[in-house]
Amino acid sequence: MTETFYEVMRRQGITRRSFLKYCSLTAASLGLGPSFAPQIAHAMETKPRIPVLWLHGLECTCCSESFIRSAHPLAKDVILSMISLDYDDTIMAAAGQQAEAIIEETIQKYDGNYILACEGNPPLNQEGMSCIIAGKPYLEQLKHAANHCKAIISWGSCASWGCVQAARPNPTQATPIHMVPGLAAKPIIKVPGCPPIAEVMTAVITYILTFEKFPELDRQGRPKMFYSQRIHDKCYRRPHFDAGQFVEAFDDEGARKGYCLYKVGCKGPTTYNACSTVRWNGGLSFPIQAGHPCIGCSEDGFWDKGGFYDRLTDIHGFGVEANADELGGKAALVVGAAAAAHAAVSAVKRARSNGGKE
Amino acid sequence: MSTDSAHPSHREEAVYVYEAPLRLWHWVNAFSIFTLAATGYLIGSPPPSVGGEASASFLFGWIRYLHFAAGYILVIGFLFRIYWAFAGNEHAKQIFLPPLWKRSFWNELLHEVKWYGMVAKEPLKYSGHNPLATLVMHVMFVWGIVFMIVTGLALYGEGTGMGSWQHTYFSSWVIPLFGQSQDVHTWHHLGMWVFICFVIVHIYAAVREDIMSRQSIMSSMFSGWRTFRDGAPPIDKK
Amino acid sequence: MSVIQTPNGYSLDNRGQRVVVDPVTRIEGHMRCEVNVDADNIIRNAVSTGTMWRGLEVILKGRDPRDAWAFVQRICGVCTGTHALTSVRAVEDALKISIPDNANSIRNIMQLSLQIHDHLVHFYHLHALDWVNPVNALKADPKATSALQIATGPNHPKSSPGYFRDVQNRLKKFVESGQLGPFKNGYWTNPAYLLPPEADLMAVTHYLEALDFQKEIMTTRTIFGGKDTHPNWLVGGVPCAINMDGELAAGAPINMERLNYVAGVIDRTIDFVENVYIPDIIAIGSFYKGWLYGGGLSGKSVLAYGDIPDRANDYSPKNLMMPSGAIINGNLKEVLPVDLRDPDQVQEFVPHSWYSYPDEKKGLHPWDGITEPNYKLGAKTIGTSTNIQQLDESAKYSWIKAPRWRGHAMEVGPLARYVVGYAQGHPEIKDQVDKTLAALGVPLEALFSTLGRTAARALEAQWSAHKQKYFFKKLIANIKAGDSSTANTEKFDPRTWPKEVKGVGFTEAPRGALAHWIRIKDTRIDNYQCVVPTTWNGSPRDNEGNIGAFEASLMNTKVERAEEPVEILRTIHSFDPCLACSTH
Ligand code: HEM
Ligand code: HEM
Ligand code: NFV
Ligand code: SF4
Ligand code: SF4
Ligand code: F3S
Ligand SMILES: [Mg+2]
Repeated sequence: MTETFYEVMRRQGITRRSFLKYCSLTAASLGLGPSFAPQIAHAMETKPRIPVLWLHGLECTCCSESFIRSAHPLAKDVILSMISLDYDDTIMAAAGQQAEAIIEETIQKYDGNYILACEGNPPLNQEGMSCIIAGKPYLEQLKHAANHCKAIISWGSCASWGCVQAARPNPTQATPIHMVPGLAAKPIIKVPGCPPIAEVMTAVITYILTFEKFPELDRQGRPKMFYSQRIHDKCYRRPHFDAGQFVEAFDDEGARKGYCLYKVGCKGPTTYNACSTVRWNGGLSFPIQAGHPCIGCSEDGFWDKGGFYDRLTDIHGFGVEANADELGGKAALVVGAAAAAHAAVSAVKRARSNGGKE
Repeated sequence: MSTDSAHPSHREEAVYVYEAPLRLWHWVNAFSIFTLAATGYLIGSPPPSVGGEASASFLFGWIRYLHFAAGYILVIGFLFRIYWAFAGNEHAKQIFLPPLWKRSFWNELLHEVKWYGMVAKEPLKYSGHNPLATLVMHVMFVWGIVFMIVTGLALYGEGTGMGSWQHTYFSSWVIPLFGQSQDVHTWHHLGMWVFICFVIVHIYAAVREDIMSRQSIMSSMFSGWRTFRDGAPPIDKK
Repeated sequence: MSVIQTPNGYSLDNRGQRVVVDPVTRIEGHMRCEVNVDADNIIRNAVSTGTMWRGLEVILKGRDPRDAWAFVQRICGVCTGTHALTSVRAVEDALKISIPDNANSIRNIMQLSLQIHDHLVHFYHLHALDWVNPVNALKADPKATSALQIATGPNHPKSSPGYFRDVQNRLKKFVESGQLGPFKNGYWTNPAYLLPPEADLMAVTHYLEALDFQKEIMTTRTIFGGKDTHPNWLVGGVPCAINMDGELAAGAPINMERLNYVAGVIDRTIDFVENVYIPDIIAIGSFYKGWLYGGGLSGKSVLAYGDIPDRANDYSPKNLMMPSGAIINGNLKEVLPVDLRDPDQVQEFVPHSWYSYPDEKKGLHPWDGITEPNYKLGAKTIGTSTNIQQLDESAKYSWIKAPRWRGHAMEVGPLARYVVGYAQGHPEIKDQVDKTLAALGVPLEALFSTLGRTAARALEAQWSAHKQKYFFKKLIANIKAGDSSTANTEKFDPRTWPKEVKGVGFTEAPRGALAHWIRIKDTRIDNYQCVVPTTWNGSPRDNEGNIGAFEASLMNTKVERAEEPVEILRTIHSFDPCLACSTH
């Protein structure tokens, strides 16, 4: 069904010769020189809206929810004018086999040329059947679609890192996209956040379409343009941090004055995201502005870094769960006590041997 | 060297072990680590809030500034200490190159363990570090300082941002290596406690050896001279 | 054994053609549906399956109860917030923490904004294409659409023929591009679509308008919670401190500027719901009022817990502005009280669910609930364990547990709330329902249908829009009276907690009654169990063979074309299924 303008003309019995003639006429009628005709022809032959297959795995669908809240561009304009959202089971009209057929059609027509947008992630436990699509593991649909795509966008922390379902003990073995075994090696753009900021999502898409290239990524695969700085680096409460003015408890004097939330657990200093710059919902606010510490929702494994209200986070393993001060403080006490005991024993021994000598 | 005439004559045999630059480094290093631990602890658990205008106070900023300044002193000192390992006397190399491949090293180390375990009656005497001290200092101080510097600079590079040398050479690979920034903080913080533990042991051992092994230890780090009270020559001196 | 009588009154016949819909789309999450249709294309057996599971209840074990809200909020990003609110209420119940009045008002505004947003987005963007044919809209005369708009929603400013012509042109260009995007492979030639072109054009236009407007509705939550979706909550109150006129108020979460923003959003929301959403429901409903399938359990067994406490900390039915109670066996004359602590009332069963219990003949009250995955298929399954062609509903067949109230399968949701409220004579609800029935010229029985469910949702959005305003005024009045506290942190420190406690929190989520049960031991979560609206509605069969609300609603529906599941989608969608929620 999806055709370029050229294909539509061909289907209507127009020859390539007359198509090219049409292009030069168009160029002329637009006041452009004849040299523009090949460009027009090229665009018409090759430039359908870029097809996007948006697959859903284990997730909460909040990334989609965030996406539709984009204020600039409007989600409506992205869907109607920028991309061709051919498959997205959250909003598509078709269901069941008519829905699944679209994936095959897209692969046939746009092999290697569509974008695979992944929200959520596939589970590997339960034979992969803790996420079933069309009677089969989601893993299969994902791998199949990835085999033929141009590039993958990993929406949100689920696709990028695993997110909540991958939190300890990850009962389904939910696996982020870049770690899925057997996945075709395709460029992966991670847009983490739980969810990501709507305008960041649409900006990533718009950038790709406008500049016809993928954004520059950091070592972890995130677009540098939105993920190269921490919340803390541009936080409007930063002067209070430097001053040593902290919220000590919620709704205290400091909370009302907008003091820094560091002591109630803010993860802004360790979280790479654009919340303090772009802000949320058309630039209206962000968690810290509403008085809640950043919980680090765009960071790998943020669910398992200890309490959201603790500044120092837990260390797992060694059969213990304690923060660095609890663990280190205890160790230092043990070492100090051991040294003291050793000193006492040494002193006794020395006294004895000296007694023997003198 | 052991017969340096400038040294006041002693009943005991004396060896010049720690040259002045090394001693200077030792105390600068110790001082910066104390500062780093104190300010580092406060970075993790800030003091109670101060009131007034944010612009009128820079308390936490100063705490962090002090930490970073001490951090740089540590870095520069350590770079110098590496240089001195080449330029200084043979003792200056010791903590960098424990002779792990030598059987005698391990035998003597075992003896040292027995001495601390109060099984052996007498310690072996060394003009430099004993093998146990060498190994512990190598692991805890050399690699410990490397670890703190690498993680510290990685954290520092997060603030200076992409493009800064700290970010390029440290943050860019250290952060992903640990998982995420929060993990680097946690391990850097834990590193502080490891240091505290070994400084306790280090100081205790220095004091104890001074008293028990009948050779100068603490004063050596001030004067540079190691003296042996009962005159027996150290085994690492031929 | 091909015809089975269920205790809840259905006769299931799986002899006819089996129709499989997988994935069921335009829902949240992953779902499969299988039905058998007889020779007359009437559905005689229905099987609904939740096809995803993440194990949040397992993941929560051993965590800090104060963090639980953030985990459970990620159960769902569509009803984001309602799980978080339920969670902080459960923890507050366990620890006996009372919250300040302002926190109650703010939480209510946030919860109501969710009702409105979720209902509106569901109707326009998930459900509308079951009733509205966008391709048919191309045939409309924009003048006729304009006339229809003026007749049905006279207060909506966007009503000129030129406006509708513009939209139609944009749509035309879109269709002519050949790239139909989300509308691809729709059932646009199916005779189940009944709207005339001008109504289709109006509805498609509002599909786009609603897509633009929905992003505003939730901004109240951006102000109070810092972001949307997944705003922030707090055990003991709300995180957004208030500073109206003190030093540094400009940097405070809530100040005059922030409140003005909220006030504006609340007013615009009322306008949109009353001038667009409600008129559309009446307009579309009037063309479909002959299609009254899909009632299912709604006229028999419905359940609501109630929500929106007027005064803070009082969760008794009389203080809840949304109705609570249970109706069973179709007896609308008696609304039974619901007690979530009673071990005999709410129980979950798993003989047909992919979980194991030590004794699967018995149900478990959520305080003693167990979540232990056990994926296995029945002997009569067609296909393999990783390529299912047809499920065996006599065995385990869904990731959804089967919750029951005193042994009854129940429907929950806007319609259930409205049925309970109507039965109790709740004046606002009665007024809304009666007016709607009159506008459509249908009897009360018409309420128990797919269309009734869809209409109840719209009415509830309208009710919620006004209640937002009520709580906004209440918030202002309270601040004016000198109370600006937003959180009670007396027991925020876990060291103040008793060794072992348990609690339950509940809300009316957009899709229905929601509750979380928590046990806290040594300051950590010992057990956490969620029984979620779509767990109720989408439930598989239970130990007695009772079918759940989805399955019941599909029974005896006539489908136009067995291979095009328009009617199945229409009815299933009327529940607004959320599968991530249902299995969590
Ligand atoms: C943060 C605190 C300290 C650190 C990191 C530290 C580190 C070190 C290092 C790396 C060496 C080996 C020197 C070399 O061969 O390059 C050393 C030796 C020594 N340190 Fe410290 N030191 C600290 C504090 C102290 C203190 C407070 C004392 C005195 C009470 C002390 C006494 C000594 C002595 C006596 C030696 C020589 C040990 C021997 O000959 O075996 N140190 N220290
Ligand atoms: C033995 C040496 C050091 C010790 C004991 C030490 C200790 C600490 C501690 C305990 C923290 C707090 C961590 C947390 O809870 O987040 C910290 C933070 C930090 N340290 Fe160090 N540190 C050492 C060396 C360094 C060095 C060499 C640098 C490099 C300049 C450095 C840079 C930093 C930075 C940038 C932070 C984070 C500050 C912030 O987030 O505001 N540290 N250090
Ligand atoms: N079912 C459900 Fe939810 C709702 N409404 C949960 O509580 O949708 Ni996502
Ligand atoms: S990343 Fe977070 S917001 Fe997005 S789908 Fe996953 S849980 Fe939801
Ligand atoms: S509130 Fe958080 S992000 Fe902002 S300055 Fe404080 S610690 Fe940094
Ligand atoms: S919690 Fe997430 S939304 Fe931003 S401020 Fe922190 S990254
Ligand atoms: Mg449950």
